[in-house]
Amino acid sequence: MRGCAAAYNRRMNEANYKVKVARDLEDLIPVFLSNRKKELDTLRVALASADFEQLRQLGHRMKGVGMSYGFDHVSTLGKYIEDGARSGDRAGLETCIRDYAEYLSKVQIAYE
Amino acid sequence: MSAQAFRVLVVDDDPDMQRMLARMLEAEGMRAAAVPDGDAALVQAMASPPDLVLLDVMLPGMDGFAVCERLKRDPGTAMIPIVLVTALEDSASRVRGIRAGADDFLSKPVQRDELIARVQTLRRLHETRRELERERLAAEVNRKESLRKAFARYMSPRIAERIMAELGDEGTPFQRGPQRVNVVALFADLRGFTRLTESTQVDEVVGLLNDYFAVISEAAYRHDGTIFSMAGDNLLTAFNVPFSQPDAGRRAWETAHDMAKSVKPVLSRWRQRGGSTTGVGFGLASGDAIIGNVGSPHYMSYTIIGDAVNVAARLVQLAQPDELLISGPALHAAGATASGARSRGKMALRGRTEPVEVYAVGL
Repeated sequence: MRGCAAAYNRRMNEANYKVKVARDLEDLIPVFLSNRKKELDTLRVALASADFEQLRQLGHRMKGVGMSYGFDHVSTLGKYIEDGARSGDRAGLETCIRDYAEYLSKVQIAYE
Repeated sequence: MSAQAFRVLVVDDDPDMQRMLARMLEAEGMRAAAVPDGDAALVQAMASPPDLVLLDVMLPGMDGFAVCERLKRDPGTAMIPIVLVTALEDSASRVRGIRAGADDFLSKPVQRDELIARVQTLRRLHETRRELERERLAAEVNRKESLRKAFARYMSPRIAERIMAELGDEGTPFQRGPQRVNVVALFADLRGFTRLTESTQVDEVVGLLNDYFAVISEAAYRHDGTIFSMAGDNLLTAFNVPFSQPDAGRRAWETAHDMAKSVKPVLSRWRQRGGSTTGVGFGLASGDAIIGNVGSPHYMSYTIIGDAVNVAARLVQLAQPDELLISGPALHAAGATASGARSRGKMALRGRTEPVEVYAVGL
């Protein structure tokens, strides 16, 4: 099983949608999430046009930024997308992007 | 925020990363500025060098390695610590980063504790280095100031400044070996002073001498002369040393006139208080002399020795109050400025086999 397929097949439970973020980063989170949603749209467009280089770059960016903010699953998906783009795994990428959309719609943030 | 805050330049093309890194650094009391690419990083770092650069490797256009190399190559930015932000598993990037001159690495995704620990470590190193540099510069300034003050006792402020400006590895002109130079030597001597010391209170004698030397020294400095000795009531000033002065003859001539004019009010005040000095005599000669440090390991002075000095010394002994006796070559060197001198013919001077052509001028 490769790349995004692994992510898709991994069962997401409630805990995966819960994120803890440092209190002093709270005001940055709305912009961060807004940018992730724009990123999701760009991922979809890139996949539709089979632009694997852009998919790889976007995955790489997600990998770096997600966990830095405390959104570990964004980094995990980013790695799968980067790997899937390298191997040209279109189906896996599609699954991954769907998983990303679901994650962004369900994520719950606790500031501490 | 304090003007002394540690300034970090964040270079990352992802605005979310820029904001997050800046926020974390600011939470530690640092000041952060962010730019999105290598070109902007170079412009910003050169225009306003930060205390540290947090540099992402993957940038649009010029990558982080190239930016790092450029910053480390430029003397203005070479000392700025650079932390390269690379993917955790990317050991090849770290090797490239080391070759590019990076000081440290930070893994992406960024762990806050790791970021702060690495930046704080480099901050301490940077501040220690900056403090040492400040101390070194302060010591250098103090050393130069001490030298400048020492020089200012012997020569005009302009010449002292020039020596300081040209201070190089070979040291000051006074630290070099002896040199043979064509100089113009001017002696000034206060007439009647020796008799005066026998009949006047010590404090008053010293007061008169101080006033006298103050005005004639200032006159010497106005014409960029270098004072070689001040003994008793006698002052030796020379020109064309330690730096070349093509118009040394004119300068010496004008200095004698300036000294005579400047000292008159001092002597006049002294006479009004009952003193009895009669005036100042001057001797002026030009010719070869040896310049160098002469003495013993315990006492040494920057000294001028030679025919010009001997002739000027003999002439000042023969000069009447308010009179300048000048040798023929020195008068010739003074050029068109020198007028009104009357020939005294050839005079035999003590210690010299050949007589000297002498001219006299009233001051």
